[in-house]
Amino acid sequence: MQLHYDAATEAFRAEVRAWLEANQPTPAEMRAEPVKSSAHLTGWSRRWQGRLFDAGLLVPGWPRELGGRSLPPVQQLVFQEEMARFALDRSTNPQGLEIIAPSIRDYGSDFLKEKYLLPTLRAEIAWCLGMSEPGAGSDLAGLSTRAAVHEDHFVVTGQKIWTSGAQHADHCFCFVRTDPAAPKHRGISVLILDMKAPGVRVQPLPALNDRKHVDFNEAFLDGVVVPRDHLVGQLHQGWSISAGSLAHERGMVWLTSARRLDDTLERLRALARETGPDGRRIGESESFRDAVAGLYVDAQAMWFMGYRGFAKFARGQVSPEHSVLKLFGSEITQRATRLATEAQGVDALDVDYQGWTFDDIRGRAPWMRQYLVSYGGTISAGTSEIQRNIIAQRVLGLPRR
Amino acid sequence: MDFEIAPEQQDLVDSVRAVLAQECPTALVRDIVENGSTPEQPWKSARELGWTAIDLPESLGGLALGFTALGLVVEQHGCRIAPGPFLATVTQFLPLVCEAGAPEQLARFAQPAGAGELRGALAIDHGRAAEQAPGESLRAWRDGAAWVLEGQRTYVLDGGSADEIAVAARVDAGDGVGLFAVPQSAVKAQRIVALDASRPLAHLRFDRVRVEPERVLGTPGRSARALGRALERAVVAASLECVGACQTLLEMTVEHAKSRRQFDQPIGAFQAIQHKCADMLVQLEKARATGHFAMMALAEDDPRRALAASMAKAAASDCQRLVCKEAIQIHGGMGYTWESDVQLFVKRAKTLEALFGTGAAHRQRIAALLEI
Repeated sequence: MQLHYDAATEAFRAEVRAWLEANQPTPAEMRAEPVKSSAHLTGWSRRWQGRLFDAGLLVPGWPRELGGRSLPPVQQLVFQEEMARFALDRSTNPQGLEIIAPSIRDYGSDFLKEKYLLPTLRAEIAWCLGMSEPGAGSDLAGLSTRAAVHEDHFVVTGQKIWTSGAQHADHCFCFVRTDPAAPKHRGISVLILDMKAPGVRVQPLPALNDRKHVDFNEAFLDGVVVPRDHLVGQLHQGWSISAGSLAHERGMVWLTSARRLDDTLERLRALARETGPDGRRIGESESFRDAVAGLYVDAQAMWFMGYRGFAKFARGQVSPEHSVLKLFGSEITQRATRLATEAQGVDALDVDYQGWTFDDIRGRAPWMRQYLVSYGGTISAGTSEIQRNIIAQRVLGLPRR
Repeated sequence: MDFEIAPEQQDLVDSVRAVLAQECPTALVRDIVENGSTPEQPWKSARELGWTAIDLPESLGGLALGFTALGLVVEQHGCRIAPGPFLATVTQFLPLVCEAGAPEQLARFAQPAGAGELRGALAIDHGRAAEQAPGESLRAWRDGAAWVLEGQRTYVLDGGSADEIAVAARVDAGDGVGLFAVPQSAVKAQRIVALDASRPLAHLRFDRVRVEPERVLGTPGRSARALGRALERAVVAASLECVGACQTLLEMTVEHAKSRRQFDQPIGAFQAIQHKCADMLVQLEKARATGHFAMMALAEDDPRRALAASMAKAAASDCQRLVCKEAIQIHGGMGYTWESDVQLFVKRAKTLEALFGTGAAHRQRIAALLEI
């Protein structure tokens, strides 16, 4: 066990840092083209992702031809640490890069890899993920969007919901029921669906925070034809892809939430210097200091737990830390933003803000808006309750009912 | 950067765990609590197997394995709520002597303590420990070449039984801190009825105790740094023992939830119980990861060491609060009994929470370090 890295790793860090200094997107170009959803590829974001690809830093653990350098896990971690330090995301279509590209690589036919993998990595196409349905949220395996199986095509009918970025996505990585007779988990397949195909209708579903804050959508699928060769993996074997898809990059996905928590703590420290509704400096309150210090410990613990999980990941072991980190990180974020709203008192009620873009909501928007957005963290990608079930049953070995 | 326990450290952890499982059953702790017994184990094993010398340099007969190895061993002691002089001698007395002592003092005090031939204690002001202040209740002044100590130190772990007491006192010079090694026989010890009788506490009265120059550690008025660094070790060790105790509480609770049946099913199948257990695990993982970071920060003398120590104590505090509460609650009626071992572990965890600054005190310290 040790905290410091060896000299070769630190040399790599210096190289990454210099590269990021020289190649990161500029604030001016980001301001000129705001990102409007999690599938919105802008000019700057395409160029940025392309530069990462060419430098072998897009997916550093992958081989050169797939935008990587075949880096060992510890250097992948250092790269991610530096990305966090610069507050950079690799892609403005995270589900495309982080979930769908690895799934196509692992499960797709040569035809699908040829057609979709490189364009996804090079930010030429954007993706949405068609998993949740009105009747299948936490109980994802209960999905009922039907794909009728024909000789050379499928016909898809049903509805997806919470489909992030569907209004900008070119394609949907869509979970459908191909065998309605089979038990829940068995009859599911994954299709690549063209979002411009006839029968696809996307309707925005603004979040509670702001009517203009549209990342979620409902996607209505009415007799959408999907060619047979757009089946990913084996027919009726989609559930294993969902398990595999979501497992991708779990070794390091916590870094993003750890970094955002650090940002939130920084802004809480800044809030301590502001004047509260009683005319006194907010940081003078002992209970505020107590709460911020506790949250600081939690935010730091995110990193330490992540590193512990990473150590197992790097040794090729499955790490139960993922559910712990997801649960912990989302709940701390909620506590932190709520604390800020409570410290602000009536000042929290002014929720006006300028320069709104899709990403700003987490960092620069008024605290009350951030607090409301924090519920996205405790509900999406497996609610906190589902995470607790997973921890209790899969980590602690308590019986399923 | 590696949070994974190295193979040789894992071997050490495994051997400590095996020895403690053999030599330190919970019945041994219960016998202390119920009958006031004074078992020679597990101190005898700790001495014979060199655990007392893990973090001492080879020049003092130590194994020089570093504080990381010691921290892992302390965590294992916590898992068995091991009693005896190990915690006070190795993680409280020794660090202060090693931080402040001159070579001949190291030979006189540290070497025998590392060999397990001397039992030590550390007398500080627990109420001011988080901020690393000496506290006003014990004062020292110069008397020729010697120093005189007047006042008291309360809740000194092993203060009634140790051979030597390392003492921090308030002095009217420089940074205000004076450090001394005082024979236990020179102070008036009043043992208290301690919550956890296997962690005995005493109030120590210093009635103008005269300390000869060879027992003055470092230079009074220039010892705040040494006190702070020693306290960081004591704080992290207490945090890790607390994590160990909580680990066992969670294991006991999960076992109980699997075996106890009500309404024709194990109570662990109920979501209400599952979610409590999941939250216990989250707090435990948080406290362990933070404790491990802190022990590495001390081992490597990382600039974040003071912050890391307070974070470890704060995280252990959060952990024990939830784990103790839910362990008793999920054990139901049995958790309420004297007969259940749950109470023994809860009392150890609560003792460790209170010593060397509570979680709340350390959070105020963290806020100060972060300039909030």
